[in-house]
Amino acid sequence: MNTVLDVKDLCKTYIVNKRQNNVLRNVSFSVDEGEMIAVMGPSGSGKSTLLYTVSGMDAMTAGKVEFCGSDISKMSQNELSQLRLDDMGFVFQQMYMMKNLSVLDNIILPACKSKKVSESRSQTADRGRSLMRKLGISEVADNDINEVSGGQLQRAAICRAMINEPRMLFADEPTGALNRSSSEEVMDELCRLNDDGTTVMLVTHDARVAAKCTRVLFIVDGNIKGEYNIDRNKSPRDRERDLNNWLLEMGW
Amino acid sequence: MFLRILKNDLRRKKTMNIILLLFVILSSMFASSSVSNISAVMRGTDSYFDKAGMSDAFILTLSETDCDTVSKNLDNCKGVDSYQREDVLMLMSDNFRQDGNKLVDFTNAALVQCGADTKMNIFDDSNEKIKNVREGECYISGTFAERADLEVGERFDIKVGDNTWTFTFAGHAKDALFGSEFINNPRFLLSSADYEKMVPECQDSRGAVFYIETDDADTVLAEAAEGAKIQFSGPRSMIKTSYIMNMIVAALLLVVSVGLIVVSFIVLRFTIGFTIAEEFREIGVMKAIGLKTRSIRGLYLVKYTGIAVLGAVLGFFAGIPFGRMLLDSAASSMVLGGDNTVLISALSSAAVVAAIIAFSWRSTKKIKKLSPVDAVRSGQTGERFKKRGILKLGSSRLGTTSFMALNDVFSAKKQFGIICAVFTVCILLVTVLANTANFLSSEKMLPFMALTESDVYINDTSECMDIIGAVKTPDEAIEEVEQKIRDAGYDADVSVELWYKYTVAFGDKSVSVPMIQNRRTKTEDYSYEQGTAPQYTNEIALSLPVLEKLGAKVGDTVTLAIGGEDKEFIVTASYQSMNNLGESGRFHQDYETDDRGISTAFAFQADFKDDPDAEEIDNRVEKLKDAFETDNVFNSADYAKDCSGAADTISAVKYLVLVIDIILAAMIAVLMERSFISKEKSEIALLKAMGFKSRSVIFQHTLRFVFVCIAAAVFAAVLCIPLTKLTMDPIFSIMGLVSGIEFKIDAAEVFFICPMIMLGVTALAVFLTSLYTASVKASDTADIE
Repeated sequence: MNTVLDVKDLCKTYIVNKRQNNVLRNVSFSVDEGEMIAVMGPSGSGKSTLLYTVSGMDAMTAGKVEFCGSDISKMSQNELSQLRLDDMGFVFQQMYMMKNLSVLDNIILPACKSKKVSESRSQTADRGRSLMRKLGISEVADNDINEVSGGQLQRAAICRAMINEPRMLFADEPTGALNRSSSEEVMDELCRLNDDGTTVMLVTHDARVAAKCTRVLFIVDGNIKGEYNIDRNKSPRDRERDLNNWLLEMGW
Repeated sequence: MFLRILKNDLRRKKTMNIILLLFVILSSMFASSSVSNISAVMRGTDSYFDKAGMSDAFILTLSETDCDTVSKNLDNCKGVDSYQREDVLMLMSDNFRQDGNKLVDFTNAALVQCGADTKMNIFDDSNEKIKNVREGECYISGTFAERADLEVGERFDIKVGDNTWTFTFAGHAKDALFGSEFINNPRFLLSSADYEKMVPECQDSRGAVFYIETDDADTVLAEAAEGAKIQFSGPRSMIKTSYIMNMIVAALLLVVSVGLIVVSFIVLRFTIGFTIAEEFREIGVMKAIGLKTRSIRGLYLVKYTGIAVLGAVLGFFAGIPFGRMLLDSAASSMVLGGDNTVLISALSSAAVVAAIIAFSWRSTKKIKKLSPVDAVRSGQTGERFKKRGILKLGSSRLGTTSFMALNDVFSAKKQFGIICAVFTVCILLVTVLANTANFLSSEKMLPFMALTESDVYINDTSECMDIIGAVKTPDEAIEEVEQKIRDAGYDADVSVELWYKYTVAFGDKSVSVPMIQNRRTKTEDYSYEQGTAPQYTNEIALSLPVLEKLGAKVGDTVTLAIGGEDKEFIVTASYQSMNNLGESGRFHQDYETDDRGISTAFAFQADFKDDPDAEEIDNRVEKLKDAFETDNVFNSADYAKDCSGAADTISAVKYLVLVIDIILAAMIAVLMERSFISKEKSEIALLKAMGFKSRSVIFQHTLRFVFVCIAAAVFAAVLCIPLTKLTMDPIFSIMGLVSGIEFKIDAAEVFFICPMIMLGVTALAVFLTSLYTASVKASDTADIE
């Protein structure tokens, strides 16, 4: 399998009130193509920072991050922007959307900006609608973002993340602001995308969500304390139970 | 806790609070300076005349004989309550020298007199009365010093015959009687010692000004003129009207002031509404923890009142020099502004505070309706079904960034609409001034001066004075001018407009008006409002205000007192002109007038026989200046500009307003953009997280204002002409142009240059401000509430 993301000795330090805060300390891991990896850990452990740093959204202090063989630490801001636009997708805990655009327009916005696929606007819109259909939200395509539920909005955010057919999708607690049923729906969509070949890296607090992934990284105080491979052949209930047991061992 | 919340709010929302404070300062500055200026302009000439101690009527005579005749007439006139005679020396531009050269060319006679003996108050630049003039010094009124580039402290000579007296220019004098652009006879105020020295040597130049107190100015002036040659006469009302050009500028200042107040209040209202809308989350949280609506509302009211008071005080102090600068630029030759300026300014600033509290009270009304749920939904109820955007990205042909910018504008119609309205007002303020200044300096104005358009206009003072003094007949003077032109290498037909002052009567009403005649043009060459041009010598045309005063109409027969005889004339036409502030008449070209009755001769008008183009005319103007040894040779547009006298002042005000506009537009753009960035931080971070480059975001933000500016330019272009007519026609109608005028529109300036300047400034200001978006990182999506 090809390695999509290769992280070596990644460090991230914030200076707050002249005090050094080492959020990530020599973190190393890799993610293979087609994997669905969850990052778990207590609050303040550096999960989100790890996600933002490896995706090039935040600058690293030291170490090396290779995305599809390219060292992102050597990339300019413009190159990183292009990388995020064409090869990465993002889903956030809050359903951030452009307030002045309809749901469909929010979804196709990255595709309209990207030159990755040569197509007309109407073809892009058709692709957006097709994605929405796939995620079961086609009926809200022309709605204002205030007119749809949180679950629908998060699925729209997934559509937006997927519109440019990224090599990897990053999700920061994608179900964190959703109720249980919406949360299930969103995770099912992410799993389906992963089954279709999209590499996914997500941050979560929820073991039930993490149990749907193929691997879990457990991070504490900026260090990866453990790594757990999930057997997807087991039933969801067994996977969740095994994962919870492992998390207990890790001190969760 | 109340104070702690307030303290934290002020500290945490520093940017928005500072933006609001700046807008309050702007509003207070504009309101305080503008309201006091409006008050000054509204009282304008009346206040100035009262301060100057102006009488009810005035007469200026040139010769001692005429002075004595007028004195006798006034002594015998029943309508005269009292009168004062002020002896003066009447000198021409040739008499004023510097380093052996003529100081400056001017057509009107200058009054040289003793400063201590003036019968009315004349003021210096600090608006203080000039009481005494030191020996060897001289104050000068009107535009003489300005035209002569004479600086305070500079020396110049007055030369009469073989006598030369040297004076130091002590300063500019504001003379209510002769200081307007229309009359503009400069007064030279000397010490009594200097004046006494000059009088015996200037016996041929003696004249007098009569200040008359009466309730019936028109009758008294008509009776006083019997048997005397009057250089100039008029009632106080006419002198007042002669300040119309100054008042046009002051009225334009008034329009600008009102515009600035409107702009500042619109922006203020918008900013308060905008900042309160940003507080929904916190209001929800406060409600959730149990704070009552009254307490929350009080919190915001205290905050806004504090900002309002601080801003109003700062704006009040900034408004004093700003207002003075505006007023000085508009009416430097007048004493405008009352004693209560500070009080009016303070009240205006207080009104700004009251308005802010009212706006805040209104805006915080919504707090009642907000619930803790709003803390979660950031003020969105989720029940809004009104579409924000009307554009569809999927079907748009615009680039993504352009689409986003345009969609933002359409999505926030109210916010951008207000910015658009403000920019429209700003552009209109300049373009109305530009249209007025362009009209006053274009050949389009000549018909409104009862003149025909000629290639060249020559103000040859000595020839004119020879005509007025009956030294030469008009024909002799014209032939000399034609000869001088021939000597310069050109062949031209020359004519001159001659003025005679006669009393016109109809029924029991009479008016003393200048009757105009040009013996070498035809009455058909002039524009008329009603009737047809006089065809016979017993026919005349009268201006509309004269007809109105007489109660006569076209077709009536009026009587003119000419040379002691009453002669009847049929009024065949009416016209409008600014001559003598609208009051004049025109004889048929063949009517035999008495040359001794000529009171004024206008510029010699020359029409070249070889029909040269405009460029060649300009070349010839330069050559004729050398031939006639004067700068007062003009092409038609420049002559119109010279006649109006206000075009340059209005242009100066236009540039001042343009600078204010630029500063205002830049400030509004910066403050609005800064508040937009603050509001849209999450969206900027999201765009960056999605892969939008910083330059795309900057471009999007800049483009929004560019679209708004383009819309403002379009609105301004549509409104420009109607608004110019709406604001300026009533002002010009006071000057006699009662039927309205066709303004000269410089399309490039009005429709392109002005809007482009605003667009450029706005775009630059927004661009520089939006560079701040580069500090918003993609990872900020994690930190945004």
